Amino acid sequence: MALTTWALGPALRLCAAGPVCSWEMLHVAGAGVCGCCGALRPRYKRLVDNIFPEDPEDGLVKTNMEKLTFYALSAPEKLDRIGAYLSERLIRDVSRHRYGYVCIAMEALDQLLMACHCQSINLFVESFLKMVAKLLESEKPNLQILGTNSFVKFANIEEDTPSYHRSYDFFVSRFSEMCHSSHDDLDIRTKIRMSGIKGLQGVVRKTVNDELQANIWDPQHMDKIVPSLLFNLQHVEESESRSPSPLQATEKEKESPTELAERCLRELLGRAAYGNIKNAIKPVLIHLDNHSLWEPKIFATCCFRIIMYSIQPQHSHLVIQQLLGHLDANSKSAATVRAGIVEVLSEAAVIAASGSVGPTVLEVFNTLLRQLRLSIDYALTGSYDCGAGVSTKIIKEHEERMFQEAVIKTIGSFASTLPTYQQSEVMVFIMNKVPLPSTQQSIEAGKAGENRNRLTQIMLLKSLLQVSVGFQCSNMLTALPSVFLDRLLSAALMEDAEIRLFVLEILISFIDRHGNRQKFSTISTISDISVLKLKVDKCSRQDTVFMKKHGQQLYRHIYLICKEESNVQAHYEALYSMLMLISIELANEEVMVDLIRLVLAVQEIAQINEDNLTAYNRCALFALGAAYLNLISQLTTVPTFCQHIHEVIEMRQKEAPYLLPEDVFVERPRLSKSLDRLGPEVFFWQSKISEVLGGSGYNSDRLSTPYVPQLTDEDRLSKRKSIGETISLQVEVESRNSPEREQRAPAEEITYETLKKAIDSVAVEEQERERRRQVVEKFQKAPFEEIAAHCGARATLLQSKLNQIFEITIRPPPSPSGTITAAYGQPQNHSIPVYEMKFPDLCVY
Amino acid sequence: MSMEDYDFLFKIVLIGNAGVGKTCLVRRFTQGLFPPGQGATIGVDFMIKTVEINGEKVKLQIWDTAGQERFRSITQSYYRSANALILTYDITCEESFRCLPEWLREIEQYASNKLTVLGNKIDLADKREVSQQRAAEFSEAQDMYYLETSAKESDNARQNTLENNVSSPLPGEGKSISYLTCCNFN
Repeated sequence: MALTTWALGPALRLCAAGPVCSWEMLHVAGAGVCGCCGALRPRYKRLVDNIFPEDPEDGLVKTNMEKLTFYALSAPEKLDRIGAYLSERLIRDVSRHRYGYVCIAMEALDQLLMACHCQSINLFVESFLKMVAKLLESEKPNLQILGTNSFVKFANIEEDTPSYHRSYDFFVSRFSEMCHSSHDDLDIRTKIRMSGIKGLQGVVRKTVNDELQANIWDPQHMDKIVPSLLFNLQHVEESESRSPSPLQATEKEKESPTELAERCLRELLGRAAYGNIKNAIKPVLIHLDNHSLWEPKIFATCCFRIIMYSIQPQHSHLVIQQLLGHLDANSKSAATVRAGIVEVLSEAAVIAASGSVGPTVLEVFNTLLRQLRLSIDYALTGSYDCGAGVSTKIIKEHEERMFQEAVIKTIGSFASTLPTYQQSEVMVFIMNKVPLPSTQQSIEAGKAGENRNRLTQIMLLKSLLQVSVGFQCSNMLTALPSVFLDRLLSAALMEDAEIRLFVLEILISFIDRHGNRQKFSTISTISDISVLKLKVDKCSRQDTVFMKKHGQQLYRHIYLICKEESNVQAHYEALYSMLMLISIELANEEVMVDLIRLVLAVQEIAQINEDNLTAYNRCALFALGAAYLNLISQLTTVPTFCQHIHEVIEMRQKEAPYLLPEDVFVERPRLSKSLDRLGPEVFFWQSKISEVLGGSGYNSDRLSTPYVPQLTDEDRLSKRKSIGETISLQVEVESRNSPEREQRAPAEEITYETLKKAIDSVAVEEQERERRRQVVEKFQKAPFEEIAAHCGARATLLQSKLNQIFEITIRPPPSPSGTITAAYGQPQNHSIPVYEMKFPDLCVY
Repeated sequence: MSMEDYDFLFKIVLIGNAGVGKTCLVRRFTQGLFPPGQGATIGVDFMIKTVEINGEKVKLQIWDTAGQERFRSITQSYYRSANALILTYDITCEESFRCLPEWLREIEQYASNKLTVLGNKIDLADKREVSQQRAAEFSEAQDMYYLETSAKESDNARQNTLENNVSSPLPGEGKSISYLTCCNFN
């Protein structure tokens, strides 16, 4: 009966089609009656039948196969019927378990596929796919593999005619299922899985470039294909690591599902266009989530390494964006998971290099910084949304710390991929996020808030340091805009020793452009500078401008940092590096002179010890001075200068070795309590230095003026909790004073003059305005008698009286801080009360 | 062309918590045996069964999904094109029943098919934790078919119920798909 049905189908179709050969008509009549009547069967059927041998063991009958092929080539319009007939036979053979014939049928099909021209294949493909599907439906592994192999061969044929109605749904589903095979026999399991992968690869190849066909990039397919590949990538990795014998291992190496899956994944991703990336990456993220693969990180990083290397480079930022999005989505997941994602991000960023960030630079950093902040919150509150269990807190804090480190590292790797101008943009961005008390940035009161601020400050400065390490700029002026530098330096004045150190480190990495910093990492008084092999370029014009603009600011901060009692060895080392790097990178003669004066002033801090520093601090400052002057004298190559320095150092070696770095900056420094009874010969003397350097053309006038940092009164209040109140002030002072100051040599002495000038011009104007306002007010509001009385008074008298008062008010500033405030924008505070006090009296008379 | 070996093709997906016996049900249904010591399914499993209903050959593609959480994403991708979903729970495990609403939510995201709820392991009736009444009420409220089975002691009657359940409601739902429209093999 089966025969009847299959014979009738094509014949009837032919009838409908039109021209019908007479013998075919005959056959239609005869087929139902006598199926075995070979002579009456159509030619193509006979040809097909002939390729099958009596005994399936004999295999395909080669000569007859050639005949069939020849027939198919010469009459391509018959191809569909040949295909239909072959598939029919195959389906029947499968259900009758005659697997030998099944194999032969497939072989014949393959050969026909290969032999036929592209155009005609189309007619044939339907029945071909049906046969493959039939084989894939079978439970027999061999048939599944057979079907897959044929499918793969088919997939490699490039068709030039689109086929609109083909669907690969079943194939994707089935191949994905095969990728997950759990067959009891390990060997067979591996084979089935490999077949599955190959099949998927085939589907991808077949469909990926053909927009008319089922869109392989649809989530419904990607959600099957990608996890199946990843499953094999990950799974076999595990089993391979404990593979029992080396022999088996080498065999596996030849063709392991892992490698195959990797290759397939690479191929898939390599073909992904802009719009498809998302669908392809999302299943990866979900797979990693579901199988908790973020935590050991190895697999996740391995996955994304594959992805980043195989994806088209112009799309890499999409992957990064998706990872960032995923990180945000996982804000409340365990710290280890987040750390894993961040770690992967960092890796991916490095691989993608310049392509990693894409158009939204700051968005990337914003996300990372937000995560950093969140993590600080988590660590402090011990829970993701307040109301914590105490038991988990310790673990969490530790994990959060790791996460924070990972984020910081990632910020660094992202930043290093950016061009310089964007790097400095990013640094300004980060700096603006650092909570400084002056700005209204989420400053919270109380101990918890303080703690949070401190942690945030530290974390952000750490990120900044990370960015600055990879930062290479030729022009300091553009690299360190005033806004940035001001904020950064203001952080340096905070009480917190750790923060101070970060600021120093950041500055050092900015200034060091020739990789010299390592050479100054330990403080010592070496006698020959050439062993350091310093790389020095001539100070450029921009650098000179930079120092003109910001030099005083830097000196002042160095000076103030030196005064801090909480400094430890690391601070002194950083200060030393900073001084040296400024001398090497940014110094012209003038800067050099200023630096020497600065260091001498630092020596004075230790000598006079107004601030009651500990013996260690004082010795450290002495030692710092010695080390710096030692190197700088050799840099200037003025022999007499060198000699003076050398003499003092030698003297110290004999009399007071505890004033030299070799004795101070060791694990157990030998300190002396008798620092106040030192002889003059162990100090560096300004007069002597200015004398010797003046002889070599240095500005000895300037040199002989001791360095006194400006605004010392202000800074004596230094133990302030918030540096906020000083920032605005100091910023304005710097910007206002610096141009004039640079012209006149001793920068410090100018202050009073400048201030006076400023007060004269600003305050008088202000007061005049205020006076007018009050006069008008008076006339409007005062009773008639008063006005009348006032009119009677002499205008000139009033004027002279006023002038007197002005002079009294202006000249002696009530306090230094008052003066300064008055000079910069808020003169009313001080002048008005005085004025208001006097004015009514004056009016009455 | 009448050379297809079926008249109708349906894709059926089994879902439910891990260990409720989905794979055993499928094995019982397709191969007529109860595999003792069946391990957890990895990803998805695939079986074919052709049944004859009212003289029409109905081919069932049965996708047996892994219950484990970690395969959730891949199993979800199989719901989408399914013609029928069978939501399985274990009558001896309260937890597996309580998860049903969660499953329903998940299904709603991906598919909008009529569901069948299947309580498995009635051979262990003495350890029953989910009463028949409760399950029936639940299913009715959600407009689902409800059945209890045992893959282990499947007497033929029970087997048929599964079979009937799997195949018969479908054409009536207007979801019957002939081989011409069911694109897999065209």
